[in-house]
Amino acid sequence: MSQQAVSARKRQMFSWGLALALSAGLSLASAQRESTLVIGGDFSDLITLDPGASYEFSGSLVAGNLYDTLVIYEGNDLKTLKPRLASSWTVTPTASGSRITFKLRDAKFSTGRTVTAADVIYSLTRVIALKTPSSFLLTDVANITAKSLSAPDAKTVVMDIPKTANPNIVLALLTFNVAGVIDSTEAKAHEKAGDFGTAWLKDHSAGSGPFMLNRWDRSAQVALDVNPNAFRKSPNIKRVILRYMAESAAQQSSLNSGEIDVAWNYTPDAFKAAQSNPKLRALKAETFSLSYLGMNSAKGSPFEDARVREAVRYAIDQDGMIDSLLQGLGRKTQTIVPIGLAGSDPKIYYPYNIARAKELLKAAGKANGFSVDFLVSTGSCSGGVPCQDLAAKVQSDLAKIGIKANIKQMVNSELYTTYRAQKATLIQADWSPDYPDADGNGTPLSDYAAKSLAWRNSWNNAAAGKLAQTAAIESNAAKRLAQYGQLTALLAKDGPFAILYQPYKPIVTQTGIQGFNRNANGDVQFEKISKK
Amino acid sequence: MLTYILRRLALMVLVLWGVTLGAFLISHALPSDPAAAAMGNNAREEQLADFRERNGLNKPLATQYVIYMGQLLRGDMGTSLRTQSGIVSDLRAFFPATLELTLVAVVFALLIGLPLGVIAALWQGRPPDLLARTFALLGGATPVYWLAILALTLFHERLGWLPGPGRLDVYSLPPPTHTGLVLIDSLLAHDTAVFWDGLRHLILPALVLGAYSAALLTRMTRSALLEVLSQDYIRTARSKGLTPSRVLGKHAVRNAALPVLTVLGSLFGSLLTGAVLTETIFSWPGIGGYATTSAISLDFPAVMGVTLIAGLAYSVVNLLVDLAYGFFDPRISFS
Amino acid sequence: MTAALTSESGTGSAVWRRFRRNSGAMIGLVLLVALLLIAVLGPFFVGSPSAQDLAARLSPPSSTHLLGTDQLGRDVLTRVVSGSRISLGIGVSVMLASLLVGSAAGLIAGLLGGWWDEVIMRVTDVFLAFPSLILAMAISAALGPSLTNVMIAVALVSWPTYARLIRAQVLALREREFVEAARALGSSQSRVAFRHLLPNSLAPLLVQGSFDVGNAILTAAGLGFIGFGAQPPTPEWGAMVSETRNYIAQAPWASSAPALAILITVLAFNLLGDGLRDVFDPRKGV
Repeated sequence: MSQQAVSARKRQMFSWGLALALSAGLSLASAQRESTLVIGGDFSDLITLDPGASYEFSGSLVAGNLYDTLVIYEGNDLKTLKPRLASSWTVTPTASGSRITFKLRDAKFSTGRTVTAADVIYSLTRVIALKTPSSFLLTDVANITAKSLSAPDAKTVVMDIPKTANPNIVLALLTFNVAGVIDSTEAKAHEKAGDFGTAWLKDHSAGSGPFMLNRWDRSAQVALDVNPNAFRKSPNIKRVILRYMAESAAQQSSLNSGEIDVAWNYTPDAFKAAQSNPKLRALKAETFSLSYLGMNSAKGSPFEDARVREAVRYAIDQDGMIDSLLQGLGRKTQTIVPIGLAGSDPKIYYPYNIARAKELLKAAGKANGFSVDFLVSTGSCSGGVPCQDLAAKVQSDLAKIGIKANIKQMVNSELYTTYRAQKATLIQADWSPDYPDADGNGTPLSDYAAKSLAWRNSWNNAAAGKLAQTAAIESNAAKRLAQYGQLTALLAKDGPFAILYQPYKPIVTQTGIQGFNRNANGDVQFEKISKK
Repeated sequence: MLTYILRRLALMVLVLWGVTLGAFLISHALPSDPAAAAMGNNAREEQLADFRERNGLNKPLATQYVIYMGQLLRGDMGTSLRTQSGIVSDLRAFFPATLELTLVAVVFALLIGLPLGVIAALWQGRPPDLLARTFALLGGATPVYWLAILALTLFHERLGWLPGPGRLDVYSLPPPTHTGLVLIDSLLAHDTAVFWDGLRHLILPALVLGAYSAALLTRMTRSALLEVLSQDYIRTARSKGLTPSRVLGKHAVRNAALPVLTVLGSLFGSLLTGAVLTETIFSWPGIGGYATTSAISLDFPAVMGVTLIAGLAYSVVNLLVDLAYGFFDPRISFS
Repeated sequence: MTAALTSESGTGSAVWRRFRRNSGAMIGLVLLVALLLIAVLGPFFVGSPSAQDLAARLSPPSSTHLLGTDQLGRDVLTRVVSGSRISLGIGVSVMLASLLVGSAAGLIAGLLGGWWDEVIMRVTDVFLAFPSLILAMAISAALGPSLTNVMIAVALVSWPTYARLIRAQVLALREREFVEAARALGSSQSRVAFRHLLPNSLAPLLVQGSFDVGNAILTAAGLGFIGFGAQPPTPEWGAMVSETRNYIAQAPWASSAPALAILITVLAFNLLGDGLRDVFDPRKGV
């Protein structure tokens, strides 16, 4: 055989092998395709998958499918607490406050081990010890310490909370991933220098949720595989891939080409186009977020006079903002408790009225308007609208009553540093409650002493603070509603905020995707999804 | 030769030390608070204080620098404030993607820029030259992010010829990591499907990233060749009856290689800059995106890590370029 | 990019004659003059670049809006025209600042030599080893995003080129007769520098300078694109491309217009730079 013939044969064999390899890859791929759900989105906020440490939207989204909490809100019903790892629970008053007793159901971790009371206690105490970004929910809101928890037997967890905490709020925040239950044996096996396994849990999972982590390629994708031991079974989807696509344009082209099944960050205009596209399904998911302007009410600030703050509320063209910039991806509301939570107030206190706004400014001695720095975040604001577009709209609205707002775009970190230092005179920001309860907004937005939003805007109103504190721990539902009615009215009249809108989260999927639902907390139950 | 390399290495260490000092001063002169950046909007004051304490942010500046340099000498770049993991492991995760993209972009730039430059010089003043020069001018003036958006819209979305953002198709499972370079790792795993997939994903971003460099190389090759071709010994060679292609092969290319090499050295710097923008548009999981997110979240240990690795890459490439001078031009001696 | 050029490029009129014959250079010059006219006079002919008309948002080019409108219903042509002042302003001031700083450093290094030279050259090494965009991002993050800070950041990464250029010129010229003669006649260091060395380095500085204006505009627009630059609603071109890129499917004109404006401006300066180099150094180029 000549040299040439040999090399020709080699070439042929190579191309045969290549074809084989390619076709094998393809058939594998098409089988995978039907049971794989691919979500494209901006997941750049994902820094850890440890349920106790994750406090970002993407982290919560993933952790909610890897781990189970004791109790949960199922689907869109965020008012009725449902069992998850706890099959039942009771709240009993004690001398020092109240006691919640949880009975655990039979459940197994992805590791094969049984979920016990010791795992629950380990998971909560490690969060308190680690002082993670979300730990304040347990320490400051629920007011618990490691000593508050005990396990009379392997299936019972007892939690003692003091009078300063409302047991209903404690139960509500236990639905958040900060209370996700970890396999303590597994975590301890990976502990390094007393870190409660947090370094390992950053990119590994040891939970009882319907999925477990396959691998996380940082800034590329997160791949979850179905957890065979889970009690929440995923009948159709065997693998979920969260694909990093920061650009909305990239998500649009990938959804159109069928590369992804779900797009997480559409702009309002692209969303509108998707609504009329028969190949796509456009979902307007509800949220409890509020997009608002914060007006610093400190002495010497142009917003010191309550009438100036009212003037701003009259001058904001909410309808124009929602109809054109947001393309309907927002709801008009003007009080501090979002629509959907008990205690919210649908009343429109401030119909758009330039003349009235000018009168108020004149009455406050600022007939000629004033100039003010307007702090705005870079990137995308809630509802998918770029923050700078929103800011430009607010700027032009305020210009109509003589207020010259000079936009200063800042990265979030700097923005919040300035805001926290009470140095923001006028700011555009978003707020989402940490737990689906009116108190998630009531205390931070009204109580100066809570050192949150009211404090940041130097708004110190003793009556509002008192009302917020009372309403937070009020156990009578009717009384509580009345208290929140008073509080929201007080803030609408005098408060340091001008609510811009309550956003919807735009999500676009292929029409073949069934059962995709994102609730107002931002949770998506991957196991309920199927793909055609 | 050896003393030359040693001297250069010593200088490199000095330069890199300067880079750490500069980066440290800039990042620590920040008026903003990294603790607030890391702990989120709703964090309480006590949490912020605790974070500063844990990360040594409340120590005096000089102390922090000494601690940082001490760690650095032990090969530890510190901990990222944002991801709370080691910078070294972060860089190890993100650098290979950028390295692969940059290397392929350099290959593209060479494949396009060198022939175009040679063609332009040989047909000086005629249509091929005009075309090449137009390419060089446009390539040097187009904003890279705009080119990226255009390329994605046209070749991915409209024509469907090439895959969209990312390093691999969603359904291609990444090969086991050895080098972090998809092309090499997939071959090591004998996974040709993933290799082709990776290559296809590289084409658009690498072409976009390499366009500026290709333009620069075209210009440099052209002018270097023209200068060499106008010199006496080439004229002599030509008058002795050597064909243009032989002249080109024997003398011109060898001599024109020097200025081209110089450009190649400086390309790595501009490529890294381009990578920051290109990676954003192509959702490329590289060091450019990592640097941007780190800068946005005031994660200065991470920014310093990126700066240092970029400075190191730049210095090493330039040392190699200088050494290559000797290969192409025996007149240069390293004393 | 600019090899050491010498000063014997002929008299002014000879230079201009060569320049006029160079078609690329002439195209560049014409483009530049047009851009300058637009930058100086344009804003008087168009309305406010931040006037919004939400009812007419994202509308395609028409007789009322020659280049269409953006996502806030602002006229794209108006914004591009108003933005020309900003981009040209950034480009020229960055070039001047880095030229001044760089030349001073280069002169000191070249003239004083010794430790001065060593230290200054190592400092330029450090700045060259810095990834420029990351340095600019860090500075912009540190000082807060604004046009001024963008200019500072870009100037910081471009001055070392001038320092090296001038130093090389000084070293080459120092030994030449006319400088030696001036020294022998008792001229002081600074006199030698300003009367003899600097003027003789003018040609390469001009060439490098015109390329750098283009580079500065590109870098500044890149910073604007990733959000470290001008504040909205400032019509900075890079920021405009960035702000409108999410609407590329609905309104491609809104991001194309500022991108093309960047391209044309940079092109004009590069053509000019090419032309100047050919003119000053006839051995190279066409």
